[in-house]
Amino acid sequence: MKNTIKIIASLFLLFVFTASVAKGQDWNVPASAKNKQNPYEASTKNISSGKKIYNINCKSCHGDAGMGNMLPLQPVAPSDLGSQAFLIQGDGEIYYKINKGQGAMPTFEKTLSDEDKWMVITYLRSFDKNKKESKQVAEVVNPEVSDVNLVLDINNEEKKINANLSGVTEKGDRVALQGIELSIKVKRSFGYLDISGDDAYTNEKGNVTIQFPADLPGDREGHVNLLVKVTDDAYYGEVSVDRISSIGLPTDPVNPLDERAMWGTRANAPIWIILSYVGGVISIWGVIFLVLFQLIQLPKMAKNKE
Amino acid sequence: MNDLPEQKETNLSFEKIKKDILRPMQNHKGLELWIAFLLTVLSVCAWAYYVQLRDGLGVTGMRDYVSWGLYIANFVFFVAVSLVGMLISSILGLLRIDWITPISRIAEIIAVAFVAVAGLVIVMDMGRPDRVINVMIHGRFQSPILWDVTVITTYLTISLLLLILPMIPDLAICKKELKKTSPILKKVYNILSFGYINTPSQHKHLHKMIRTLMILIVPVGLAIHTVTSWLFASTLRNGWDTTILGPYFVAGAFVAGAAALIVGMYFFRVNYKLQDYITDLHFDKMGKLMVAVCLVYLYFNLNEFLVPGYKMKTGDDIHLKELFTGHWAIMFWSSQLLGNIIPIILLVTKKFRKPLPIMIISLFILAGAWVKRYVIVIPTLLHPHLPIQNVPENFVNYSPSAIEISVTVFSFALALLIITVLAKIFPVVPICETADNKGIKYKIEA
Ligand code: HEC
Repeated sequence: MKNTIKIIASLFLLFVFTASVAKGQDWNVPASAKNKQNPYEASTKNISSGKKIYNINCKSCHGDAGMGNMLPLQPVAPSDLGSQAFLIQGDGEIYYKINKGQGAMPTFEKTLSDEDKWMVITYLRSFDKNKKESKQVAEVVNPEVSDVNLVLDINNEEKKINANLSGVTEKGDRVALQGIELSIKVKRSFGYLDISGDDAYTNEKGNVTIQFPADLPGDREGHVNLLVKVTDDAYYGEVSVDRISSIGLPTDPVNPLDERAMWGTRANAPIWIILSYVGGVISIWGVIFLVLFQLIQLPKMAKNKE
Repeated sequence: MNDLPEQKETNLSFEKIKKDILRPMQNHKGLELWIAFLLTVLSVCAWAYYVQLRDGLGVTGMRDYVSWGLYIANFVFFVAVSLVGMLISSILGLLRIDWITPISRIAEIIAVAFVAVAGLVIVMDMGRPDRVINVMIHGRFQSPILWDVTVITTYLTISLLLLILPMIPDLAICKKELKKTSPILKKVYNILSFGYINTPSQHKHLHKMIRTLMILIVPVGLAIHTVTSWLFASTLRNGWDTTILGPYFVAGAFVAGAAALIVGMYFFRVNYKLQDYITDLHFDKMGKLMVAVCLVYLYFNLNEFLVPGYKMKTGDDIHLKELFTGHWAIMFWSSQLLGNIIPIILLVTKKFRKPLPIMIISLFILAGAWVKRYVIVIPTLLHPHLPIQNVPENFVNYSPSAIEISVTVFSFALALLIITVLAKIFPVVPICETADNKGIKYKIEA
C-alpha cells in the first residue's frame, strides 16, 4: 500500500518535472505566426526608437543586445537578443514570443503596441550579420577623442535648444562627434521628462536641435531645469550638462497650505472653525464662571431671611 | 409603573433618612480592605506604566499599523460610561422625572470618575506625556484632538459642579451631623456647604444654578462623545468613514452608562443597605430605560452594518467580512448578542428587571460595550487603504502586551477608587431631595 503511494507520488513528480522542463524549452510557435513579416523598414529612426523601447522594457533582463550580459534567471535564463544564434529566427517567430511570453519572460501582448514591438525587432535585426536585406545602421566612426564637451545654446525667443558635442583628437584638434544619441530632459516634480524626440542624434557638426514644448510650465519666471546628456555612457563615460533656463511657461503655482483650509496650519484655520471653537469655549465657560460666581454669593444669602 | 406592587410605605422621617444615608459614611466594615486592594493593584500597574514611560511605547503591542490600540478603545469606553451623568441627572432631570432622585448622585459620581480617568488614559497613551500641553499651545482648530481635550475638561468641570451643587444641602447636614470625622473632611464639608441653611432665597438661587448647569451639560455631553467619534469619522478609513458615527457613539454611550449605573446602584444598595431608597422600582425603571436605549443602539447598529454590508464596496468588504465571519467575528457577535440583543429580549420581562438579574445582565452589557469599542478601533487600523509593503509580522497583527493590559487595569482600578472615595466622603443618596420628594419638611441649622 505504502509502496504504491510512493510509486504514484514519484511518477507524479516525474511527470510534473518533465512537463516543466519541456515547457521551458519549447515555445511551440505555430507555423502561421512564423510567416509574419516586419512591416517597418530598417531606417535609422525606426532602429533608434526600437532601441529606446528595448532599453525601457527588455534591457533589465536581456542586458545590452550583443553583449551577453543577461540576468542569470532560473530555471531558464533570458537569451542575448543581439546574438547571431538568436537572430536565426524569423521576425514572425520573435514577434510571437514577445507577444506570448513564457516562464519569467512576460507577455507584451497588451503592454506594448504592435508598432513598438516591430520597432524592437527592427532594432534587434540591426545586429544580424547574416541577413542580406537587413540594413546596418550606417556606422559612424568618430576619431578617438578625449576631453569630450557638451555645449548648450538656448534660444529663449524661439524656445529652441541646441546641444553640441565635441572632443579633442590626438592631434589636439577639437572635432564634432557625429551620430551620438543625446537625451534632453526637463526636471519635473517627480523625476525627469524626456523631450528629446525620436531623432536626437548629433549631425555631422555635432549638433542636436530640438524645439522646447510651448506648453511646458516652469516656475513663476518660467524657469525650468534642463539636463542634457549623452544617452549611452558606453561611449565617453558620463557626459552631461544641466542648466536653469527661462524657456518654460511662467506659472503661478498655488501652495495649498497658503489658503485657509481644513488641512492648513493652525494660523490658516478657516475663520468659521476658529469662531465656533472660540465662541463655544467662551460661552460655555462663561456660563460656568457665572454659576461659580453665583455660588460664592450663596453664604451671603443665609443672612437675609425673607 | 402600574404593574408594580405599590412600594410599601415605609414611614420615613427625616431623622431616619439622615441616619440611613449617613451611616455608611461613618462606619463601613471592609472598606479599608477594599481600598487596600485597589491601592495594591494600582501600585503594581503603576510600575507597568513606569516601564512604559522609561522604555517608550515600544513595550506596548502598538506598531505602525495599529497605533491606536487597547488604550484608545478603553478611552472611548470610559468616555461612553461617563455620559450616564448627562443622561440621568440632566436629560431625565430636565424632564422632571422624579424617580431618578435617589440614583442621580451615583450617576454623577460615576460620570466624574470615568471622565477624569478618560482624560488620564489619553495621557497614558502618549509616549511623551510631558508634551501633552502642546495640544493646547500648538493644537489646530481643525483637529478633533483639540476639541476633544477641550470638551473633556469642560465636561469634567460641569459634572463636578453637578455633583457638588445638588449636594450642598446634604453637605450642610454632614457638617452638622458628622462630628467625629477627620478635621480635613470637616473643613471640606464646611467649605462646600457654602453656608447653606435652606432659606427660600438660597433654595431658589441654588436650584436656578443647578438647572442652568443641567441645560449646559446637554450640548457638552453630546459634544464629548460626538467629538470623540470624529477622531475616527474624520479619517477616510474603512469602518470609521461613516456619517452616523457621532449619534452612534452617543447611543452606545447611553447603553454603557446605564449599565454602569445599574451595577453601581446594586452595589451601593447591598453594601450600604439602602434598600429603602434604591428600591426594586428603581431597577425596574432602569431596566425599561435600558431596553429603550438598547433599542436605539440596535437601530444604529443595523444602519452602521447592514447598509455597508449590503453594498460591500471595495475596502469596506475586507473590513466587514473580518467582522462578520473572519478574525473578529467572535468578539463582534458576542458584543452584539450579549451586549445588546439578548439583554433587550430578557429585560422586557419583569422577572429580569429585579435587582440581581438586571445587575448581572448589566455586567454583560458593560463587557459587550468594552469589546465593541475594541472592535471599532483595532480592525479598521489593520486594513489601511494603502498597505505598507514588506512589514514585519508583528505589524499586521495586534495583541496588547502585558504592560498595556496592566496600564488598562490601572485605569479601571483608579476609576473604582475615585468612586469609592467619593461615596465614602459624600452621601450617595441625596438626603434633602429625597425628603423633598416625599414631602417631608426639614430644617437645616447653621
Ligand atoms: C522579466 C525579465 C524579462 C523581460 C523584462 C523580458 N524578457 Fe524576454 N525572456 C526572459 C526569459 C527568462 C526568457 C527565456 C524564457 C524561456 O525560454 O522560457 C526570455 C525569452 C525571450 C525571447 C525568446 C528567446 C529565444 O531564445 O527564443 C524573446 C524573443 C524575448 N524574450 C524578447 C523580449 C523582449 C523583446 C522584451 C522587451 C519587450 C523582453 N523579452 C523582456 C525574460 C525577460
